[in-house]
Amino acid sequence: MKAASISRGLLRNPPLITLALVALVWIVAGLSLRGFAAVGHLRYILELSAIIGIVAAGQTLVILVGGIDLSVGAVITVTAILLPLISPDWDPTGLLGVVLTLAIAAVIGLANAMGQVFLKVPAIIMTLAMATFLQGLLVLIAGGSAVSVTNEAVIWLGSARPFGVPAGIIVWIAVAAAVLTAIHRRPFGARLLALGANPLAARLSGVDVSRTTFAVYALAGLFSGLAGLLVLGMNRQGYVGIGDPYLMTSIAAVVLGGTSILGGRGSYAGTIPGAILLVTTTALITVVNASPGWRSIMFGSLILALLLISGREAQR
Amino acid sequence: MTPSASPSGSLYFAIQRRRNRGLGGLYLVVAAFLVVYGVLFPGLLSVGGFSKFSQNWFPLALVTMAQALLMLNGGISLAIGPLVSLGGVVAAITMGGPAGAFGGLLAVVVAGLVIGALTGLIVAYMRLPAIIVTLAGSFIITGVALLLLPRPGGSIPDWLSQALAGQQPTAFALLVLVLCAWKLFLATPLGIGVYAVGDNPVGAFRSGVPVERVRVVSFAVSGLLAALAGLFVAAQTGSGDPVIGTSFTLNSIAGAVLGGVGFLGGKGTMRGAIAGSLLLSVMINVMFFLGFPPVAQYVAQGVIIVGAVAIPEFAGRWRKA
Repeated sequence: MKAASISRGLLRNPPLITLALVALVWIVAGLSLRGFAAVGHLRYILELSAIIGIVAAGQTLVILVGGIDLSVGAVITVTAILLPLISPDWDPTGLLGVVLTLAIAAVIGLANAMGQVFLKVPAIIMTLAMATFLQGLLVLIAGGSAVSVTNEAVIWLGSARPFGVPAGIIVWIAVAAAVLTAIHRRPFGARLLALGANPLAARLSGVDVSRTTFAVYALAGLFSGLAGLLVLGMNRQGYVGIGDPYLMTSIAAVVLGGTSILGGRGSYAGTIPGAILLVTTTALITVVNASPGWRSIMFGSLILALLLISGREAQR
Repeated sequence: MTPSASPSGSLYFAIQRRRNRGLGGLYLVVAAFLVVYGVLFPGLLSVGGFSKFSQNWFPLALVTMAQALLMLNGGISLAIGPLVSLGGVVAAITMGGPAGAFGGLLAVVVAGLVIGALTGLIVAYMRLPAIIVTLAGSFIITGVALLLLPRPGGSIPDWLSQALAGQQPTAFALLVLVLCAWKLFLATPLGIGVYAVGDNPVGAFRSGVPVERVRVVSFAVSGLLAALAGLFVAAQTGSGDPVIGTSFTLNSIAGAVLGGVGFLGGKGTMRGAIAGSLLLSVMINVMFFLGFPPVAQYVAQGVIIVGAVAIPEFAGRWRKA
């Protein structure tokens, strides 16, 4: 009786399902694949998950208010290419360049919100147009060639391991703590969920829709920018298209975590295991040594299968 | 109206007028761009120039129709581009073989319909959001295309390439044919259901529209259109390429949005979407002839998409005030 209610409770809790899936995959893979359970390998998986996790933090907020951000990939590319160009030479720490780049990323997010608030353009169109716009603008400004990074702060971010923990993972933990607090422990989170569940009711109950929209999209831009800096630090090179893979994976991580794509329901607590699950399966598919075609098929089938388990939408 | 006037006829034109409402501005912009294009490139008026232009436009028009069809009943597809690639790949590996051109055409049609219908079944009967299902589908379809043809290759018979992408405006004739087929489809109960389901699913359901079946058929037809666009692109290049369609996903959405098709279903018309795809195609051509670098087209596209949605919104508010 008690076990039944616990298992039913588990099935009603998408973050727990995703977490259980991660544990299952890790245990099975650890027992059957040599080297999978090595500390170094698991740490590498978490380090890659950190990038997707940070992008998906912004994406989670945006999807919770009932929007979607299709410009996160473009923002990552923008930061990865702009940072080496705008970091001033006289600043040996490179921190100024980091701050400037993150500010630009947040401003791009603000512009996304402005289009929606002032021009009444739907989120999917606004962010799609923004992504297209940035893609063109970037090539016009920076040319098509790759740029190497010399910024000390960013190189540190991509390679340092205080106490054996990669800096990226530490940043992720900080972002996760902040986002979880904001969603579950602050009025901001309540406004977010109310706005996503029913915009009209939220507005009539006194939620400042414009301000919430601005905050959410600015955060999405900021987090994408942060992820862009991490990617740049790990790659040591920025090039056009570097951010493209993160658009679809960020959305997939949010959905795998059980957040409703229609908004109003979900949590970042699910997105975290969602991101780890995505990276783990990608790593496993690489280990199995499948052709790119099979890899793509497995990845798509995985999203579909997990969707069938956890992502069912409410009935009409 | 006198009672003796044919009621069905007047109703028909009333509906046509209603469908054209709000599109006047778009038609004007398209016409203006066409004039600019004609002035910059007088060759447009020759048979060869017109053929080349319609060949650029044709695949974009097909994928925009494929996308608009789904958006009209409240769906969306992120798998349009991969389906275009798959259509081209299937054509390139079957047409050179024993199946011949017609066997290949059949294979492309079947592939498009089956994949589309499968997607539709999942979306309609499992009640999963179309955007995520097609996102997953885009990976699976890309994978299948890569398995069938890991690197660009295969071949399209030369006579077919010449017939489709040669010096005759075959592409334009085919587009007219497709539009006629769409008109016929709209005359069927399922076709009427496409608009009805998007406008008000519950109301449509209560009026006896088979909502689920309409969704599945929409996805199937959309898949067919995208796969056929792939066949045409393969005929243009003479071979198959497993990733050639990638850009069509965003462009199909852009074309539909430019044409005034809304994301929530029921808003917009297919004729608007066609005009939107024409505008996009002409815009790309004009910018090319004005000597802009190819990427400037993206900048302009981003601005124009936002403008296309924001300006009618502002006009509406201004009119009310």
